[in-house]
Amino acid sequence: MSLAEAIRVALTQIWAHKLKSLFSLAGVAIGITFLIAVIAVVEGMNRYVQEDFAGSLFGVNTFSVVRRPTVQTGNRSAEEIRRLNRNPYPDLDDVAAVRRAVPSARYFAYRDARRMSQVWHGERRRRNVRVIGGSEDYQGTQGWEVEVGRGLTPLDQQRGLKVVVIGPEIAEKLFPTASPLGKRIRLEAHRYEVVGVFKRKGGLLGNAWDAAILMPYETYNQTLSSKRDRVLEILVKTNNESELREAMDVAEGALRVSRGLRPGEENNFYFQTSTQLLSAWERINNILLAAVPGLVSISLVVSGIVIMNIMLVSVTQRTREIGVRKAMGARQRDIMMQFLAESSFLSLLGSGIGVLLGLGLGKLVERLSPLPASIPSWALATAIGLGLIVGLSSGIYPARRASRLNPIDALRYE
Amino acid sequence: MQGSDETVIVTRGLRKEYDMGAEIVYALRGVDIAIRRNEFIAVMGPSGSGKSTLLNLVGCLDTPTAGEYILNGSPVQDLHDDELARIRNREIGFVFQTFNLLPRATALHNVELPLIYAGVRAGPRRERAARALEHVGLADRMTHQPNELSGGQRQRVAIARALVNEPSILLADEPTGNLDSTTSADIMTLFIELHHHGQTIIMVTHEHDIAEFAGRIITLVDGMVASSDAKLSSAPFASAAPPVITNSS
Ligand SMILES: Nc1ncnc2c1ncn2[C@@H]1O[C@H](COP(=O)(O)OP(=O)(O)OP(=O)(O)O)[C@@H](O)[C@H]1O
Ligand SMILES: [Mg+2]
Repeated sequence: MSLAEAIRVALTQIWAHKLKSLFSLAGVAIGITFLIAVIAVVEGMNRYVQEDFAGSLFGVNTFSVVRRPTVQTGNRSAEEIRRLNRNPYPDLDDVAAVRRAVPSARYFAYRDARRMSQVWHGERRRRNVRVIGGSEDYQGTQGWEVEVGRGLTPLDQQRGLKVVVIGPEIAEKLFPTASPLGKRIRLEAHRYEVVGVFKRKGGLLGNAWDAAILMPYETYNQTLSSKRDRVLEILVKTNNESELREAMDVAEGALRVSRGLRPGEENNFYFQTSTQLLSAWERINNILLAAVPGLVSISLVVSGIVIMNIMLVSVTQRTREIGVRKAMGARQRDIMMQFLAESSFLSLLGSGIGVLLGLGLGKLVERLSPLPASIPSWALATAIGLGLIVGLSSGIYPARRASRLNPIDALRYE
Repeated sequence: MQGSDETVIVTRGLRKEYDMGAEIVYALRGVDIAIRRNEFIAVMGPSGSGKSTLLNLVGCLDTPTAGEYILNGSPVQDLHDDELARIRNREIGFVFQTFNLLPRATALHNVELPLIYAGVRAGPRRERAARALEHVGLADRMTHQPNELSGGQRQRVAIARALVNEPSILLADEPTGNLDSTTSADIMTLFIELHHHGQTIIMVTHEHDIAEFAGRIITLVDGMVASSDAKLSSAPFASAAPPVITNSS
């Protein structure tokens, strides 16, 4: 078969007409750029929500005290956003105030956390980990189960012991062969003993928590805290809806008193409920999910038509060449393959460029906003697959036309 | 092989009509020819008499409106496009007046073309193409593209390409029509050599001195065979009589 010849011809052709090729692949590139950029941002947001706010999502009858809302809902004025951004982080004093205010809470927990670039065991290293200093109840609020070893105990908390429970992805990376239990890991200059490994949460998109490290809040506060006594959020779960309302009112009063706010002064903290968060997130997600497939398919259809037209022109311009090839014994499928290879290469090149541009755009969003960009491998596979589909489907009509030319008519073509 | 099996080409009542809407052009109006292995045939006749049309039909580049065409014992007039492609690839080498080389490919790649479509692997393919180019005296021009070659050299590349797959017949439509007289003589010498080595050749030409090299001249007038003279220099052959075809085993 002459697949190699088809590819060779396609590449020479694409290279010989660089400008024309660039035009024809631009459409696909733009469509794929868009697709990848949006996926990068949506995925990034998903991870953002998972990593930074999943703690707030532990179900109904729950509220959390945070510095400012974690997802902007969009109907806030710029002035208000600026004010929220000036709010101080909660700290252990706030924790004490809220705890006193809601003694009957079902769960009461707080945590601080930070992203760290690496964790070590000997020479082995895992990059990008989430380190959480959680209070006694924190693990329970997250519904995390321990796979091997044990979870954190009240004693660990009280004494601020340097012990950690690690996510399964970290365990795999740092301890590929031996059991991690009793081993030491290093974060910056601090060493911690591994006492347990969490059960994998997994899921289609992977789970940020699978690469998390949990240690007692007290330990975190003494070793890794970026600001002493800081708390990222205080979590309260009540027994029912009415208790929730009441608890929020009481906690608000207590915080205002402990923070010394005068009557009439705005709260310098924010109460967040899981329903709020979820509806905001859902709204964003719905908009993106409704708009993206439509826009991407429109741009891909348009670029497919562009490629098809350019290929049709190419077939006309190369009629004599087709005639020569047929005269030398090329069958219909040989000619088909030649033109399909060309359109597929163009389109694949376009989607390759689109992937790179989309990644760039995602990185840009990452730098300009708090959202991390993240490209899952299925998005890359989708991009390549779409490129191939656009290439094949836009090439098939021109290729068929070329392959069915009568050799002598093709040779005589002026 | 027996004598009567040596017939490579037989046509019976071959017709080609072009429907031009207002009128029908009768390019061939019932052509009967028979050509035997190792013949060197010149096709002559006035302009528009149907020489190219006949050669294109014989070369399976076109299909007849009516009539029979039997190549190597099997009828081909009703074959499908891909089967014709196979015949063009294996049985026929075609040399055109305008060379018809791929402009952006090297001489070597142009000659490889029939082998590519014959499915010959890259190694042996390159080797055979190189040998064919050596054979026509272009061993030192293999990596040149057509626009870096003279007219005579281009036609040599085309001849090498026509021969590389060892076809049973070599067809040439005014192969020297675009060349000056010295170059034409060189190309003709090449054809004569090929004939001496046993190649069956059918060549369309306008020039009598070139036709002199051939063993037999088929003259077309108005889409019909006017004469089909065997000459003494070639193998004797009773031309006008309808050929006797025996089933090849
Ligand atoms: N594609 C076509 N459409 C219509 N008429 C055609 C076509 N090809 C050839 N003809 C007509 O058929 C007749 C025979 O043409 P052909 O090309 O076979 O002549 P020829 O003998 O090769 O002439 P020349 O010596 O000028 O090359 C001519 O009248 C020509 O106009
Ligand atoms: Mg002619």
